[in-house]
Amino acid sequence: MKGWRTLFPNAWYIAVREFRSRARSRSFVLGTVLLALIAFGATQLPVLVDFASGSSQTRVEVVAQASGLPSDAQTVLDQALNGTPAAGSSEHKSYILTWLPADELAAAQGDLEAGKFDALLIIGRDAASHDLSFTLRTDMASDGRAVQAIGSAVDSLAIEDRLARAGTSTAAVLAPVAWAVLPANSSGAGAANSLNEQVSSSLLSTGLIVLIFMAIITYGMWVAMSVAEEKGSRVMELMLNATTPLQMLAGKVIGNGAAGLTQYGIVLAAIVGGLLAQGPIHEAVVGSSTDTQFGGLDPTVLVAFVVLFVLGFLLYSLLYAALGSLVSRQEDVQSATSPLMVLIMAGYFMSVIGLQAIDEPWVKIASYVPFFSPYLMLARVSAGHVELWEFGLSVLLLAISIVVALFLAARIYSAGVLLYGQRLSLREVLKAARVSR
Amino acid sequence: MSLLIDSVSKRFGDVQALQDVSLEIKPGEVFGFLGANGAGKTTAMRIVLDIIRPDSGTVTWDGKLNTELPRETWGYLPEERGLYAKMNVLEQLVFFAKLHGVRGRAAEHETREWLDRFRIPEYADRRAEQLSKGNQQKIQFIAAILHDPQVLLMDEPFTGLDPVNVALLKEAFLEMKDRGKTLIFSTHQMETVEELCESIAILDRGIVVVGGSVREVRRSTGRQMVRLAVDGEPELAWLGTLDGVRVTRRGQDYTEAEVAPGHDPGSVLRAALSRGCEVRHFEMADPSLEQIFIEHVGQIDTSERTLAPKAAHP
Repeated sequence: MKGWRTLFPNAWYIAVREFRSRARSRSFVLGTVLLALIAFGATQLPVLVDFASGSSQTRVEVVAQASGLPSDAQTVLDQALNGTPAAGSSEHKSYILTWLPADELAAAQGDLEAGKFDALLIIGRDAASHDLSFTLRTDMASDGRAVQAIGSAVDSLAIEDRLARAGTSTAAVLAPVAWAVLPANSSGAGAANSLNEQVSSSLLSTGLIVLIFMAIITYGMWVAMSVAEEKGSRVMELMLNATTPLQMLAGKVIGNGAAGLTQYGIVLAAIVGGLLAQGPIHEAVVGSSTDTQFGGLDPTVLVAFVVLFVLGFLLYSLLYAALGSLVSRQEDVQSATSPLMVLIMAGYFMSVIGLQAIDEPWVKIASYVPFFSPYLMLARVSAGHVELWEFGLSVLLLAISIVVALFLAARIYSAGVLLYGQRLSLREVLKAARVSR
Repeated sequence: MSLLIDSVSKRFGDVQALQDVSLEIKPGEVFGFLGANGAGKTTAMRIVLDIIRPDSGTVTWDGKLNTELPRETWGYLPEERGLYAKMNVLEQLVFFAKLHGVRGRAAEHETREWLDRFRIPEYADRRAEQLSKGNQQKIQFIAAILHDPQVLLMDEPFTGLDPVNVALLKEAFLEMKDRGKTLIFSTHQMETVEELCESIAILDRGIVVVGGSVREVRRSTGRQMVRLAVDGEPELAWLGTLDGVRVTRRGQDYTEAEVAPGHDPGSVLRAALSRGCEVRHFEMADPSLEQIFIEHVGQIDTSERTLAPKAAHP
């Protein structure tokens, strides 16, 4: 096979042509714009949620007629309604409390009736029991969320008041007891995994696996379609004299892969840009800023993702090209490539199940099997349970399988592109492949 | 330095596409492959181009095996015409030229020159799908020659073209010959062959039934043709009674007869004169290629009997 010696520059010219014709097509442009918009929009969902809840702020004026309220009464009520604010953040509040002196009750009543406030809370003290008593004047539904929230908030205040009168405080009562969680090893070295860490790492790896899965299915199909198109339009006949099957294969896989990566890159850029823009947009829309959450992307996982993504795509798209060369019309591509689809789906589902059982032997074995390793090795890497040599071995096996696939695909391809017929069995093609170039 | 096809055989499943085909095509020659559909013309060309490998036999050009020669040695106009539908003409011609090792700038220059020559410069920026069939064919011809190949192989180059475009293509053809290129084409249009070819081979079911220079082939039967027209006697009934003479065509303009090997065609004229005929026209000639073709292959069969690659699966 002399194609080896002369793979370039022809493979490069073909790749450039494939990339251009793909990137100029209307479906590519529309698809990319649409996906990027959706991705950007998705990153702005938190802003939308905050905006929606922000518009239903409840303004409450509080008139304290009772004497001897606990010193931290304002804080207690505020926290009971709005939750404990995160350190350093100026998160917006669902309930705005305005405290007024006892002698302004009439004015407060006027403001309430004028619609400047949603509710008026009057705090009194029962003469007999010395407990606090509360009256809420409002037009909000008495069983609505806001009224219920205020109801339970005043409970907290009443309890705080009772504790204060008994000479203690909620903070003292609820002060933490000594309590430690350590890893199982007897030395107690290292830190235990938090549930939060475990959940976010499994979410992240599921996300990355879906990315690989989608890329292989979508862009692998592009390769198959482009081979079938060339064959269907008979340009193949001109190409056959101009190039070798190996050059065509390499060019198609590289060109379509690059177009796919471009689309992926644009969508990922939209996501990153969206996350970065979250703060400013949040500030502009809701009026307060928020911290961007990147979900703790580990550089190791990113590197593993890129390596496995590229190699997995190469392996599958070579086979897509080979199968695409067996059909004479683009309409038949779907059915011709269905065996590959089964393989891809199998790998995907294995990895989804494997994520829940990351240390099972079958997951470890499957993470070395070329067709499944892009998914399963990635799952293992993101779970953090992989030695470097294990990753290296998996990548090596994957690389070897790509070389094997390249030769096999070139053989099938060189025979397949010359055969025009309704249905070709693989056996017939291999028979023909023995005698073709 | 010639193209040598040496005992090439190729079988697709049950069909023997080529059987022990040996041919020598001299450099700078125009060579015609004749044969019915499915005779093996396309297969022979694909084997020369090393697109498919023969079961046995070799092809050499200038003493080198075709498997060792660079691809830009050959220019190929396939029978199945196709271009990238959505790509503009200039871009795809430059693309094909670059695949054959022509530098980008030179490729564009050459392309524009050829588009001018074919009187379609305005098509450079059009997409291939916007062109008529005939114009697409011209584009493909340009794609086949842009890289200045030494040997040009064309599979049925003239089919589907109107007379004006056939003339244009023949002109380009002869120019390639003037540049010293070796031209090989297949056809079943006999007039074109007689007009352009110096040598031919007639293929029938994978076998070369006759080959050589057009002159040799026409003389290969040893027979001679005579055409005779006599005033006032269109039938010439006596002609068939002469020894070794067989009438092949009776017309108002002239009567044509075949004279068997070893007989003197001049005897026909002498016989006419001795009968006192007023001879208006007398002509001696070798049989036409069409007659030889029909003799070897039977009627020209234009129905589809393509066995080339399709026959790989019976």
